[in-house]
Amino acid sequence: MEKVVIIRYAEIHLKGKNRGYFERAFSMNLEKSLKGIRHELHRTSGRYLVEKFDEARTEEILTRVSRVFGVYSYSLGYLTESAMDAVFAAAKRVAPASGTFKVETHRGYKQYPLNSMQISAEIGGRLLSENPALSVDVHAPSATVYIDVRESNRTLVFGSFERGPGGMPVGTSGKGLLLISGGIDSPVAGHMMAKRGMNVELLHFHSYPYTNEGAREKVMTLAGILSDYTGTKTVSVVSVTRIQEEIHAKCAEELNVTLLRRFMFRIAEAIARKKGAQCLITGESLGQVASQTIEGMTSSNAVVTLPVLRPLVGFDKDEIIERAKKIGTYETSVLPYEDCCTVFLPEFPAIKPKLSYVEEEERKLDVQSLVEEAVAGKEEVSF
Amino acid sequence: MIYLDNAATTRICEAAMERARELFTENYYNPSAKYGGGFAVSAMIKKARGSLLAQIADPSKFELIFTSGGTEGDNQAVFCGARRGNAVTTEGEHAAVYASFTELKNRGVEPRFVPVRRDGGVDAQAIAERVDEKTSFVSVIHVNNETGAINDVAAIARAVKAKNPRVIFHADGVQAFGKIPVRLTSDIDLYTVSAHKIGGAKGTGALVKRKGLTLPPLLFGGGQEGGLRSGTENPFGIVAFSAAAEEWFSRPSEDAARIAACREALFSALDKTLFRRISPEGGSPYILSVSAVGMRGEVLQRMLWDRGVVVGTGSACSSKHRFSRVILACGYPKDVADGVLRLSFSRDSTREEALQAARACNEAASEFSERV
Repeated sequence: MEKVVIIRYAEIHLKGKNRGYFERAFSMNLEKSLKGIRHELHRTSGRYLVEKFDEARTEEILTRVSRVFGVYSYSLGYLTESAMDAVFAAAKRVAPASGTFKVETHRGYKQYPLNSMQISAEIGGRLLSENPALSVDVHAPSATVYIDVRESNRTLVFGSFERGPGGMPVGTSGKGLLLISGGIDSPVAGHMMAKRGMNVELLHFHSYPYTNEGAREKVMTLAGILSDYTGTKTVSVVSVTRIQEEIHAKCAEELNVTLLRRFMFRIAEAIARKKGAQCLITGESLGQVASQTIEGMTSSNAVVTLPVLRPLVGFDKDEIIERAKKIGTYETSVLPYEDCCTVFLPEFPAIKPKLSYVEEEERKLDVQSLVEEAVAGKEEVSF
Repeated sequence: MIYLDNAATTRICEAAMERARELFTENYYNPSAKYGGGFAVSAMIKKARGSLLAQIADPSKFELIFTSGGTEGDNQAVFCGARRGNAVTTEGEHAAVYASFTELKNRGVEPRFVPVRRDGGVDAQAIAERVDEKTSFVSVIHVNNETGAINDVAAIARAVKAKNPRVIFHADGVQAFGKIPVRLTSDIDLYTVSAHKIGGAKGTGALVKRKGLTLPPLLFGGGQEGGLRSGTENPFGIVAFSAAAEEWFSRPSEDAARIAACREALFSALDKTLFRRISPEGGSPYILSVSAVGMRGEVLQRMLWDRGVVVGTGSACSSKHRFSRVILACGYPKDVADGVLRLSFSRDSTREEALQAARACNEAASEFSERV
């Protein structure tokens, strides 16, 4: 009998001929997430098993598994031989100390001499006679002992199912570039796209000396939390200081943010193309702030040809916060460091900027060289 | 690089470094150990204690407890001194005292905050007025860490004791020790100092206590420091503190006048259309606070860093908050508070450095106002 983590995957079974591709990506991601912890990962039909791991780190393994997209559910249990005595020994460890229970058997290996009902009855009977504090309730038991006979001599015994994050293995749905600030929304947006299997690269804008290293460190911390889900270990960092100063000096104040965002999108597209990303991802939510109106989004979209994915567009702030808390980025996101805009923030930003007006104001700037200069100054920061 | 953030911390001095190295590598024994090495280290701590105490107060009337720094000393004073009734302090305190006073509310003691003058200082009369028969504790900062204003703690303590002799009087001397003449009078019960403001190591400080005053410990445990501060002593920090203080006090006292001259030279060279003065002229010679009104001090600070000049903004300990609480308490509006730069000198600061720093400040501020 050996302690194992049983992992079941989501949606991959829907894939026909591409199934091998998805499964390879999934097992690679599982391996990546367990890096640094001694273990063996094996695939049996429809399941992955983490075996031969350091038991002192069991909880850590479960936490890491719970963050791998594509995991439908997982259980901590035992892998035993299929003889009844061996199965019973494992069932004793999984069964509760008292209260109601039932045994539920799944028999994938149909040549086993007993059928599912017989196995459940046998193990349930033995548990009952061994422990008088237990009683059987097959309709609403407070605990269930699951037995899964996989092969002639491999049976899994476990006591619960934990829900995984679902989604698709990261890397199976192309690559996107996330514009990550230090705020609450963008990490959530990145998390959602990674959940659908997208490889999420990160881009952060700063305006040193108007913003400080604390803000940048905060983004690195957020990126680190996100990497538990996405595996991405670098952030592209670009300064928009010169651009903000130029906009401030030459253009209508109310358009500060609108114009800056157009520059950010242009820079992001140039970097996305270099990295082979097929789309931009932002944390925008319709109407949340002045720049996130449909007019604002239209004005930013107008300067790029790559699609811009905004997975939070229909979310309320509290829905986003709830997700950020679940992911674990919320506490970092609310730390008091300023992101790009505040020094230059206009008192009354344009809420519904007309594209023609925006373009007219923008003509006062040497857009191309400002973008090129910013892109040329890009740093790649690993963490 | 020109380092003018010495009120935040100083570079450790060579003498302190030498002694610390010896205690890290050779005399690393636990001072409580009952064998030769332990006794040797214990003796070094005793010597350091005596030498430091002699610089601050009459060793026959006061004793000295080593702590982990200014914040711990202040916390022990407040939480072990203010145990009932009410406690009085100023709005110009360092966060270590101010936040502790705020916490007193939750422990059943009423905190009272006395407003400060424009320069950040406070008058004895203003403090005494808030003291009554129920006051158990009073704490006043000796040198305001943001403006450099000097409070006459001897006079304040006298006025407080005249009103209620049972009050425990504490002064936070972190920015005073070594920077202005300090000699504790018998009205002062507790006095906090820190090592890293005068060339010692971070993580070491002391609480000086009047003999005869019964003070409960803040940390309980193995009974070190006469039971007043348990936890294995930090011998390298303590010995380095004493070595730094010995070197500091061996320098001529005219230094203060020289530093004050540096400060004034710096201020004279600042462009007055960009900067206004916050620090009083009679304050600590080591601190010059100015404000680039309407600009953001933190941004200027980084522009100066890029020019090789290191300055502070508000207090480094509270720099997570946008506006300095103390500068606002002085009665300045937000646009002044936002633009505060604190230039703080060391004994090695020179006039040439001060002038260079002033030029850099002028450049940075005019660049800021052009661009933003």
